[in-house]
Amino acid sequence: MLTNAVVAPPSLCSGHNSQLSNQLLFPYKLNYGLEGARRKQKVSPLKAGFWDSIRSGFLKNNATQVIEPPSTLPEEEEPLPQEIVLVERTQPDGTLEQVIFSSGGDVDVYDLQALCDKVGWPRRPLSKVAAALKNSYMVATLHSIRKSPEREGNDQKELIGMARATSDHAFNATIWDVLVDPGYQGQGLGKALVEQLIRALLQRDIGNITLFADSQVVDFYRNLGFEPDPEGIKGMFWYPRY
Amino acid sequence: MLLHGSISTPPSSIRLLKSQTYNTKLKLRVAAASASQIPAAVAENKLKFSISNEELESRGFLLKQSMEGLNLDQLNSVFVAVGFPRRDTEKIRVALENTDTLLWIEYSKTQKPVAFARATGDGVFNAIIWDVVVDPSFQGIGLGKAIMERLLEELLLKGITNIALYSEPRVLGFYRPLGFAADPDGIRGMVYSRKQNQKRK
Repeated sequence: MLTNAVVAPPSLCSGHNSQLSNQLLFPYKLNYGLEGARRKQKVSPLKAGFWDSIRSGFLKNNATQVIEPPSTLPEEEEPLPQEIVLVERTQPDGTLEQVIFSSGGDVDVYDLQALCDKVGWPRRPLSKVAAALKNSYMVATLHSIRKSPEREGNDQKELIGMARATSDHAFNATIWDVLVDPGYQGQGLGKALVEQLIRALLQRDIGNITLFADSQVVDFYRNLGFEPDPEGIKGMFWYPRY
Repeated sequence: MLLHGSISTPPSSIRLLKSQTYNTKLKLRVAAASASQIPAAVAENKLKFSISNEELESRGFLLKQSMEGLNLDQLNSVFVAVGFPRRDTEKIRVALENTDTLLWIEYSKTQKPVAFARATGDGVFNAIIWDVVVDPSFQGIGLGKAIMERLLEELLLKGITNIALYSEPRVLGFYRPLGFAADPDGIRGMVYSRKQNQKRK
């Protein structure tokens, strides 16, 4: 579904996989309730709308539940929980799987490399990757946690998505390297990942959120609230590889 | 041996010295640029700065590479003079403190900033250039170009080759000769719009 928001080339895993662009089409439309909810919002347009969007996306699958955040957030911003359970589903064999969003930025570079391999991005020196992550303002991840009744206490945790943003901590943020494990694409997770990242950035009062989108994903980001070339402003690159 | 490839012979021994220290930096730059399609002439630094540091200094323009000595209220005035909305000075301070690379030019007669540019990023792969401004009274004499050339060089020296920016339509022609291309391979710059989301049906 979702490839990289990035540039020529994507930074952490250079190059991009054009095969992913074909998986942009969601099985369900995911942007309802968003507009109505947003009109009521003053501060954070994503609050109510986001959960509506996830819920409607999963109504068809009875085995899947959507978990709300523990408290009802007031209109004024409370600090967002760093971890949010996006999806919870029980497999026929009793295994419970959760997909968890986190903005805590705890990424194992080897796990990330494995994920980049899965989406077909070329490898980058791990020390540089580690430095890039460390220098990023926010690193958001999606993890799949599998809890089996037999393996009590031994959960299986897997990195299945990531997105990061660089920022000056005051005015601007730029989103890079959005990726989702191909095995988990097509479920609205990339959308959730980016929406949560935006939400966290807005909560920190970063007013200008930007990104560079490959042509195949421009519509994806449009649906998330991004506008290409606002007021004719163009993204430019210095001697791009393409 | 001079790797510079410059055409003119530096007139003084001091300049010769400066060129030689430049050569080691050159090697880094070539290494950094080797993976991409930066034109060979640029990569080998056969193109010098359009205005040299000495020339700038002789005309009263001092190049600065840190926030030290930069009056943020005066900087804010330059931003406003070129049409940016007036932003909170303390927020500007936070932004600059969290900016890896910045350059500004001080006009020695007034001791005020007359040109500025900065770049944020992850310090390894990507950089985005923001807030490129020249005081309207000092536009048209090459200060903007001087700042951009030096900012680019600093980023390249750090090994960052993925350098991007957002350009208003009326200054695309300023960035193009510096080596920038718009929408390469169909990549579009996009900005999140809250207003748009609240209105959307």
